[in-house]
Formats: sequence, structure tokens, C-alpha cells
Amino acid sequence: MNPFSCKEKTECNDKERFDVFHGKAVADSTNSFHEVWDYEESQQNGRLSGCVIGIKDNIVTQRGTTTCGSKMLAGYQSPFDATVITRLQEEGALFIGKTNCDEFAMGSSTEHCYWGNVQNPWDPTRVPGGSSGGSAAAVAAGLCHVALGSDTGGSIRQPAALCGVTGYKPTYGLVSRYGLVAFASSLDQIGTFAASVEDAALVTEVMAGHDPLDSTTNDEPTIDLTSSLHEPIKGLKIGFPKQYQGEQNSPEVNEAIQNALETYRTLGATIVDIDLPLTDVGISTYYVLAPAEASSNLARFDGIRYGHRTEEQCDDLISLYSKNRAEGFGPEVKRRIMLGTYVLSSGYYDAYYNTALKTRRLIRDEYKTAFEQCDVIAGPTTPTTAFKIGEKSDPVSMYLCDIYTANTNIAGICGISIPCGFSHSEDKQLPIGLHLQGPWHGDATLLRAAQMYQSQTAFHQQSIGSTT
Amino acid sequence: MTTDSSQSHLLTDETVKHVAFLSRLELTPDEVSQSAHELSEIFKHIDRLKAVPTEGVLPLDHPTELVDHIREDEQSSTLSQEQVLQNSPATKDVYFDVPKVLGGTS
Repeated sequence: MNPFSCKEKTECNDKERFDVFHGKAVADSTNSFHEVWDYEESQQNGRLSGCVIGIKDNIVTQRGTTTCGSKMLAGYQSPFDATVITRLQEEGALFIGKTNCDEFAMGSSTEHCYWGNVQNPWDPTRVPGGSSGGSAAAVAAGLCHVALGSDTGGSIRQPAALCGVTGYKPTYGLVSRYGLVAFASSLDQIGTFAASVEDAALVTEVMAGHDPLDSTTNDEPTIDLTSSLHEPIKGLKIGFPKQYQGEQNSPEVNEAIQNALETYRTLGATIVDIDLPLTDVGISTYYVLAPAEASSNLARFDGIRYGHRTEEQCDDLISLYSKNRAEGFGPEVKRRIMLGTYVLSSGYYDAYYNTALKTRRLIRDEYKTAFEQCDVIAGPTTPTTAFKIGEKSDPVSMYLCDIYTANTNIAGICGISIPCGFSHSEDKQLPIGLHLQGPWHGDATLLRAAQMYQSQTAFHQQSIGSTT
Repeated sequence: MTTDSSQSHLLTDETVKHVAFLSRLELTPDEVSQSAHELSEIFKHIDRLKAVPTEGVLPLDHPTELVDHIREDEQSSTLSQEQVLQNSPATKDVYFDVPKVLGGTS
């Protein structure tokens, strides 16, 4: 049975909550969440009929604009739809608009956005995480059933954890990236935010499979993620690395993870001690590889074929490019472009870029060894719950938000964050996320393991305003 | 640009100006000095990579180690000229409008 009801989503919306959050979660005022797009023409008998979906503003759609949260692309209207949009539409999904994000998906708080920052629905003085913060907040606030995000180093899983929703990054190559505005092509992956593993699995299954327009997708035309979703895994082995435990996490996060592992034990799972010693250098590796790829990918934004164009008179092409980009990009994007340009420049290529690529192989091999001992790896998604807006003003402290998630992308494996508890601060409840990682193309197993947890717990059903 | 691998990396204003030029980003003097500071801080963290024993390890530039997929050389639909030009901030007839490229100052 189709679990979604568009009627319910549009009519039962808490009006007050909608008014508070819709303006914050939505990118660019022209992309409003006031009505679903093309409802009359939608396919009524699809697997996703009635499912209302928000779209991160770095996935192109012919309807509305696609701005990547940047002045550079203000008003940009894509001449085509991303493959994921077409596939979802064919199964009757309804789109409600574009969600706000850190500019070009670079950030962990959705504070770096031309359209303004997004608030966390659980506590408006805190960030929703990022970069897909608008998508996470939109699902948490009940503005849509599901939202699409992109995850380059944690940009789905981290905001999912901070907003108390399910956030799933599939294995690299499972879902087509055609129409996803590229940030770091070897790390980027489209995925989903949903209220449950069930919803995330169904929507991802519809999007997954080979796409001739993205040669990095795997060969299978369809991927089965749902047929055995509700079958518990007998003898499930969960790896718990010592590097994911300790004082770097808040006590409440450590406690929630221990409780989650205890829940798994009662379901018959075994917890296995594993070792991932390169966890610590993941962020260093990531902040060489991702900016390097970004500096190349974002070279296309020159203000000639599309993008912001300065009103100042420029006599030559280089000063025109440099002014367009100076005016169009925000500070975090400029920082990463320069960082990437630097590590790729002669004299530093070997010391940084090549060393990071070698470390990437070691990180991947480390996971390979780990997955010989366990089916999935568990730990916290983030060391702490949502932080205050403006709290992390220096770049490095913001980058460290992704300490547990970046290596998933570096290795190209799959990962999911599911709600596993709450911390309490200033009368507010703040969600905590359990991070599960699975091996390459072990998505069905990963989702089954996550579903086992949600079948026994109610954290994912808790909505804002209710009490524990 | 010179490199000294023995200690943490500090970027000078001159280096930042050069990188900004390569990146095609015009920076104000304040942005140059702020970037020099921030990038130096970031490199302090990145320099942890120096402790990783990578000798003899092959670089891995892509997680899947894909082989090329070559499609049949068949005609397919593509964007119309109108669609290609629709987002350009400056066009003239059927062209993108840019300043003089040849004989300029750069």
C-alpha cells in the first residue's frame, strides 16, 4: 500500500509551524512551498503517488529556480530536470519546492547561504546542520514527506541527526548524479531525508539504477531496497570502532549510542570491537580532495554562459571572470576554491593532493578489513547535538562537524543516520543521530539493519513539541 | 611559491594573491589578509596527513575504480540554441557577449 497521502500533508499541516519554518527552509522566495507543483498532471497510480517531496536547491528542476544557495545562480532556470526528478515524477511523486542549503553545498550549518540561514525546528536558536539543512528542517517540521539532499562529506546524515529525521546516503554510484550541480564529483551522492527508513528506502529505490547520463552509476537498471526491508537480519554483526567513542562526544551522545547498541543486542545482534585508526585523518584528507575537485568544478561559473555578471565595466576577460566570481560567490566558497587551487598547484600537488589520494586508498582498505568482521559499522553521526547559530565562526571547528561522516564518502560506501535519542538543553529537546555505515552496495543490508532499530524504537516518530 | 615540509604551513599575503589570481577571484586587501590567516589555520589541520605512512601506496582518485563506459555513437537530442542562451546574462544575436578577447591587456 502506498504510505503517502498528499491530502494529509497539505491539510493537516500545523499552520503556525508552517508559517514559522517554511520561509526559513525554502530557498529563494520564488520556490515557495505553498502548493505542490503540477498536481493535476501527476501520475495517480505510481509507487509514490501522494508523496510530497522537497528538493535541495542544488538539484536542477525545470520548475522554479536552481540557485545552490548562491547569488551566483540567483534566477537560474534549468533547461532540463535531473534524472532523479524524472524518475520520481514517473512514479507519481509531487514536488513542493526547493530547499535551502549552504552555498554550493559547502558547509555544515546552512548558515552560508545567500537566501539567509535555516533554523532548527527543534530550537530556532540552533542550526539544522548542513549543507542540506533546508531539506532536513522541512521534513522535521512536517512540510513534506521526503526531501532530497546531497552528501559529499556528511551533508545529508549530519543535518538528519541534528533535526531528528532519517537521512540516507546511498553507496556512490547507486543514484544518478545527472542534474546535481557538482561540488566534488568523486564524493557527491544524492540521497533522501524521510520520517522513516521505510520511506527513505522506497524513494531511493525509485531513483536508483543505471543512468546512461551518468557513467559513474552502477550497471544494474534497478536496485531492490524494499523487498526484504522488514526481515530482521539473523546474527547481525555490528562493528563499533573505538575511534567513535570517547570524550570528543558529548556524554549524552555517548549514552544514546550505548543504548542503541543495547537495543540491537536485545534483537540478537552481536557488537564487535573494530579498529578504524584513520578516522582521525579523514577531515584532513577530505579538505584536500573536496576543495581540489570543487576548484575545478566551480570554474564553470564564469558569468558568461550563466551566473552572476558584474555591472562594472571590464576591459578584458580575466578581470570580468574575477569580478563576476568575486561578487557572485560567498566567503566559504571562495575559501574552498582557493584551498583547492593551492593543493593542486605545482609544488604542492604531491605534498597535499597526491598524499590525500594515497590516504584515500588506505581509508578504503581500512573499511574493507572492517567489513570482513561485521555487517555494518555503528557510531554517532555527530559528536554533539545542534549548536547555536553563529557558534562556530572559525572554519576548522565547522569542518570537524563531519568527523564521523566524511570517510564514508572518501571510501564511497553507504551510510544512514537515524534518530536514537534526545539531549535536553534550556527546556528544548535536541535530537541525537545513530550513524550506520554499510559496505559498497550493501545498501539493502544497511537499510534492513536500520529498519530493525526503528521497528523497536519510537525516536523517529517523535515530533516537535511532544514530550519524551 | 616555496615549500617547507618540516613545519606547519603558513600562507603569505603574496601567496594568497597569486592563488586568488589562479582561481579568478578578485579579493580586497582585507580579504587577502583574512584568507592568509584562515587558510594557514586550515593547513595546520590538513598537515596531520604528513603523519600517515603513504610510501609505496598507490593514489586512489575514485572510490569505485570504474572502467570507462563507452556508448554507441548515436544521434540524440540535446539542448536547443535558445535553451543554451536562456540563462546568459549578456547575449548578442545568437552569441554570448564578452569583452574583446584578443589584443586585450591580459
